[in-house]
Amino acid sequence: MGAAGLLASSVPWLKGCTPAGQEEISGEKVRIGIIGPGSRGRFHIDNLLKIPQAEIVALCDNYKANLDKASAKVPSARRYDDYRKLLEDKEVDAVVIATPLNLHYRMTVDAFSAGKNVFCEKAMAYTMEECLDMYRKGRASGKIFFVGQQRLFDPKYIMIMDSVRKGEFGPVVNVRNYWFRNNDWRRSVPSPDLERHINWRLYREYSRGLMTELACHQLQNGTWALGMLPQQVMGTGSIIYWKDGREVFDSVSTIYTFPNGVNMTFESVISNKHFGMGEQILCKDATIDLASGRLYAENPKPRSGIRQLVGEIEQGIFSSSAFAGTSWNAESASADSGISIMPEAVEGDGSLEMMQAFCHSVLTGEQPPHVLEEAYYGSVLCLLGDEALLQKKILEFPEEFRL
Amino acid sequence: MKDTVITAKVKRREISLAAGCFLAAFLVNVYAIIRFGTPWTEMFTQIGYVIVLSVIIYAVVWVIRLCIMAVMALIRRGR
Repeated sequence: MGAAGLLASSVPWLKGCTPAGQEEISGEKVRIGIIGPGSRGRFHIDNLLKIPQAEIVALCDNYKANLDKASAKVPSARRYDDYRKLLEDKEVDAVVIATPLNLHYRMTVDAFSAGKNVFCEKAMAYTMEECLDMYRKGRASGKIFFVGQQRLFDPKYIMIMDSVRKGEFGPVVNVRNYWFRNNDWRRSVPSPDLERHINWRLYREYSRGLMTELACHQLQNGTWALGMLPQQVMGTGSIIYWKDGREVFDSVSTIYTFPNGVNMTFESVISNKHFGMGEQILCKDATIDLASGRLYAENPKPRSGIRQLVGEIEQGIFSSSAFAGTSWNAESASADSGISIMPEAVEGDGSLEMMQAFCHSVLTGEQPPHVLEEAYYGSVLCLLGDEALLQKKILEFPEEFRL
Repeated sequence: MKDTVITAKVKRREISLAAGCFLAAFLVNVYAIIRFGTPWTEMFTQIGYVIVLSVIIYAVVWVIRLCIMAVMALIRRGR
């Protein structure tokens, strides 16, 4: 929050989560309905319960187990099993939609029709056409519309992106994103007929898999850092390990190319977790690891003379001498441990700040600039990437989807 | 257990030896500064490393002295 306050002047959409922004709306409350209080929905409930300006008044889920878990957190909230009934509730000012991807479009559009402000989880929708229609309907409604791209509110990301955009580390030459896990991505299912309902991420009817669930967050890094949209995408995807009836890929590799030739990659494998999650911006003079908030200079400040000397002696004593030397030297990765970019420890991932900003916007009636547009492009890019994987083609960014 | 008496002469010798080790470590630091072209302020900023290095040199000198003493004792016993 402290760091967010410092950055608010340069990043207008952060105003709502600064002390000044919160003061502006003190005493007022947004009455919120949660549609889809599954694991992500309950995560939002936990954050909303920390915000004095938020009051959760209604919950909706057609899966009773989730509804019960959410009710336990907010016993006073009214319960619904049909989102349309919740939208008819006159005491709901805003809805948080955290349902399977294929439902986002219909629910969001219906919410605008019912006069509600909307926070919708990412990705925005199942198709690019739906994303564009949601964007247009949201703007036309005059209501507040947020999409769950919490990195936009993470002080670490904001600070780093500000420096990157100013060229402090030289020109951006590459953007690398990856997300590696080693699990089947399944949730336990109490009865077989609930398989698709609960494990919706694994089926094409509901989800676009790794691209919409993971890439959506990371692809934003490139557009944010470079201030432009990629012009083409190519890639490949397969089911290489989890051959358990799922329909979405468990391994994807994509390359997005920007108009200046810079490439941004997104890779994900869910049968090896060695490298974990990484988001790196490679500049001519430094590499920035967004996830850890560390900066690795291309030419780090040399160690002191005496340390270099000791290191040289150590190397002379302990390094093994080659029996028959190689004819070339491999370029080993830098052993530089980097420096932390943030001046203070920053907790969280921006999710709480995002909800604070949403409540602030609903109460003031001011849609913050750029937030929706950034989210829209994040979603369109992941959907375009998935199309490239399915079609096995290089796809150009379609002009009709530019805002 | 017997009382151990450290004479003034021994104290002076050990202090001189420790000072010599510190000087040697200090000169190593000066050499490193020249060799790697690092700032001369490292003569003071790296004093911690110099002290650690002087302790190491002192310990190495002691190991050598112990070896010499052991050899001398063996020679004396042989006579």
